[in-house]
Amino acid sequence: MLPLALLSAAQGKPMLVELKNGVTFNGHLVDCDNFMNVTLREVYQTSADGERFWKMKEMFIKGNVIKYFRIADAILDQAAEEQEKNRALGRQRGGGRGGRGGGMPGRGGRGGPPRGGQAGRGRGGPGMRGARGGAGAGGPGAGPRQA
Amino acid sequence: MAALDGFRDQLVQVVLYDGRVIVGKLKGNDNFCNLILSDSVEREYSSDKGVEMIPLGLYMIKGDNIALIGQVDEDKDGSLDYSEVMAEPLAEIRY
Repeated sequence: MLPLALLSAAQGKPMLVELKNGVTFNGHLVDCDNFMNVTLREVYQTSADGERFWKMKEMFIKGNVIKYFRIADAILDQAAEEQEKNRALGRQRGGGRGGRGGGMPGRGGRGGPPRGGQAGRGRGGPGMRGARGGAGAGGPGAGPRQA
Repeated sequence: MAALDGFRDQLVQVVLYDGRVIVGKLKGNDNFCNLILSDSVEREYSSDKGVEMIPLGLYMIKGDNIALIGQVDEDKDGSLDYSEVMAEPLAEIRY
């Protein structure tokens, strides 16, 4: 599992964050991003020597000053569950992804078949461009998704 | 990170820049060497008494502060009596 997946699964949960300078913050995770910047709520800050404490309503910590997160054990299982659920969902939805997408016969050719009497419609007369009509130009991915 | 794939779900010993030694089961990692360690324990070495084991639980350590990650032989590690092991604690790494 990716550390970021664990962190996002911990949203709303209590955690401890220690900074590189030894200062720690206890609070509930509100939000996090790809840099592991975090916002915490109801925070208790402890000085590096562990002798002084502060309380704050809400705070933001830049990800690059963090040493580690201490997270409740249960979150790991919860994150794994979430990941499994998303994976199953992806399988379900993206089942036909990656196929060649075969062209449907009779569709996709540029111009229609030569039609008598309709000369002058657009560029090229009858039989010039439309000759290929119906062959289908379904290249990779051009066709409809086959579920 | 190819090098760490073999450590997945294994016991690893992590040494941080501040000199801390943390042992836990590697549950995940990414390209930045950020680690997920479950059931982790800090091993506090001291020169006058045995190693103190401090249970820490689930840890997510940022790669910035990691000096080394070592695979631990669980059998050998289990056969050691750490309450008898004395060693000077590691100094912090200056950079």
